[in-house]
Amino acid sequence: MKSGYVANRSTRFSVLSDDQCREIVSASKEILERTGVKIFYQEAVEILRKAGCSVDGEQVRIPSRLVDQALRMVPKRVTLCNSRTGERVMHLEGYNAYFGTGSDTPFYIDPYTGERRPSSTQSVGNNCRVIDALPNLDFVMSLGISQDVPQPVYDRYQYEAMVLNTSKPIVVTANDAQGFADIIEMAEIVAGGPEKLRRNPLIVLYAEPISPLQHSMESITKLMMAANKEVPVVYTPCVMAGATVPATMAGTLACGLAESLSGLVLHQLTKEGAPFIMGGVFTIMDMQSTIFSYGAPEFHLLEAALADIAHYLNLPMFGTCGCSDSKVVDEQAGIEAAMSILLMAQAGPNLNHDVGYIEYGSTASLEMLVICDEIIGMARRIVRGIEVNPETLAVDVIDQVGPGGHFLKTAHTRKFFKTETWYPTLIDRKIYANWKSDGSKTLTQRANEKVISILESYQPEQLSPDVKQKLRAVVERAASKCQK
Amino acid sequence: MSILDEIAQGVIEGEATKVADLTKKALDTGVPPLDIINNGLVLGMGKVGEMFKTGEMFLPEVIFSGDALYAGVGLVKPLLTDGSMPSKGTAVIGTIKGDLHDIGKNLVGMMLESSGFTVVNLGADVSPESFVQAAKDNNADIIGCSAMLTTTMILMPDVIKLLESEGLRNKVKVMIGGAPLSPEYAAKIGADSYAPDSTTAVEVANELV
Repeated sequence: MKSGYVANRSTRFSVLSDDQCREIVSASKEILERTGVKIFYQEAVEILRKAGCSVDGEQVRIPSRLVDQALRMVPKRVTLCNSRTGERVMHLEGYNAYFGTGSDTPFYIDPYTGERRPSSTQSVGNNCRVIDALPNLDFVMSLGISQDVPQPVYDRYQYEAMVLNTSKPIVVTANDAQGFADIIEMAEIVAGGPEKLRRNPLIVLYAEPISPLQHSMESITKLMMAANKEVPVVYTPCVMAGATVPATMAGTLACGLAESLSGLVLHQLTKEGAPFIMGGVFTIMDMQSTIFSYGAPEFHLLEAALADIAHYLNLPMFGTCGCSDSKVVDEQAGIEAAMSILLMAQAGPNLNHDVGYIEYGSTASLEMLVICDEIIGMARRIVRGIEVNPETLAVDVIDQVGPGGHFLKTAHTRKFFKTETWYPTLIDRKIYANWKSDGSKTLTQRANEKVISILESYQPEQLSPDVKQKLRAVVERAASKCQK
Repeated sequence: MSILDEIAQGVIEGEATKVADLTKKALDTGVPPLDIINNGLVLGMGKVGEMFKTGEMFLPEVIFSGDALYAGVGLVKPLLTDGSMPSKGTAVIGTIKGDLHDIGKNLVGMMLESSGFTVVNLGADVSPESFVQAAKDNNADIIGCSAMLTTTMILMPDVIKLLESEGLRNKVKVMIGGAPLSPEYAAKIGADSYAPDSTTAVEVANELV
């Protein structure tokens, strides 16, 4: 009889202890009380003043009790749905780790020519189709900007291109709150009405403050729009250690978290209980090139630490992985993607984005994306850990086979070899002669072939002609207003 | 689906009991035994081989398919007059002296059997003399010689020399395999063929007989 037996159901990566989380959260509250944040939107400042904040022009100092209150009010879990079936496919809570792409890259690598080209509505649509086909990607961000349409309303075109090409949940960006309003209207059309969208969210809105400690009018109006409509929102500070936040990792976490928590306070004061996902793309400024690094080890360390804090606060979290500073899909891209994906899979932020980015987030690569899909498969196997029980210990089978025998013919092997083992679709394990006779291809070459094959053969589930027409009408309405 | 198709499907699924039942049923209803073998059992196993090569099937599944194949063949074989049971040839296989690594060689044996060869598996640590003696005793067409180590593969030429001195070299083909080996090494020691894996071993054996 076992007594007091403890089992690990999965592997886990953790950076901070509970005491360290508490200390960082406390520092963030101190920053908000002592230094405060700048808010460039009068209506928001008034809400905060009425709630008890100390207001000095645009600078708002937030008492800790308001942070505590917001943390109590905010939902601890957010669920996202398939846009075609309404099935509740993603549960953003606890250590559930989902993966998806990043959003608005100005460039993409043309899979047919290898050229780095400006992204367009068509490239966004193609990218979403590939994401839809890949089994380990759970949600979609645009992986490009629609640059071929009127820019003040690009966001409506971009959402249309996305939702036509994927049924996976979509995280959307927009120019402004009006853009969000139109996109929410479009999502309501897809969902079958406002109430259905509220019940089964298909989209998450994305907004970001401006570090350090500033909330622009655009970001605040987007955040408040999301709250009022009760559409889940990712509010994500993008901070650079040594530049927009302190160079120390702890200081980076405290300052970035203060931005998130001030956003949360305003969000919950706008609409109590509206769904909120804590963001945080926390990395370093590379002091040689000045880039915002998407591959630095400190980036992964900070993201994992922030996941510890999110778990400590019991908040759903937006993480980052599967991206690279490399300009091409090469060994560096593979190293940076693999390390970040495995660490996020084990640290457990819930909504992990930017899979498929190269060139520090400026360029989207579908080859990178399909390689990352494979890495996520590997990481998920590692996260699944090792099941230990009498059947998996297989002592009887070992006795039956005995020294010098083999296990290939046992029913035990037949039962377990597929579930215990992960099998690749892109990673090469062929014997040398077969690899050579198949063309001696590198991983990137095989990835390109997979991309082309998806682009030429895969069709996402279609929306009805009626829905498509109504979506188009919203896009055209926005475009015509924009021309006036 | 005809009963022969069902038998082939049973082999692909690796369901020995199902294949045995179907084979009995086919015999009872008067399907000619050779038809059952060629258009049911062996046809299914051929598909298994293809699917293994393309990655659609996995090794343990192939082995279970092999068992299913023999569950059917065992029932049909006694009904065939002597000599009409198709066999592609006899292969004597083993891991060379000084080497206990035999999982790869066993795989080759199972795959050869599944594809219709008669296999005599001598196990591991097999001396050149034992290889040649077994080839004589079993009237073998092929000797399959395996080694995992660079320190043991150097005994392989002795097998070939011994075959020559016994006057059997023209009758018995020699194929070699194992991690340190290569087509170049096979050519250098005068072996007939090299196979890097069990699937290729079957292809090579088919060419040799």
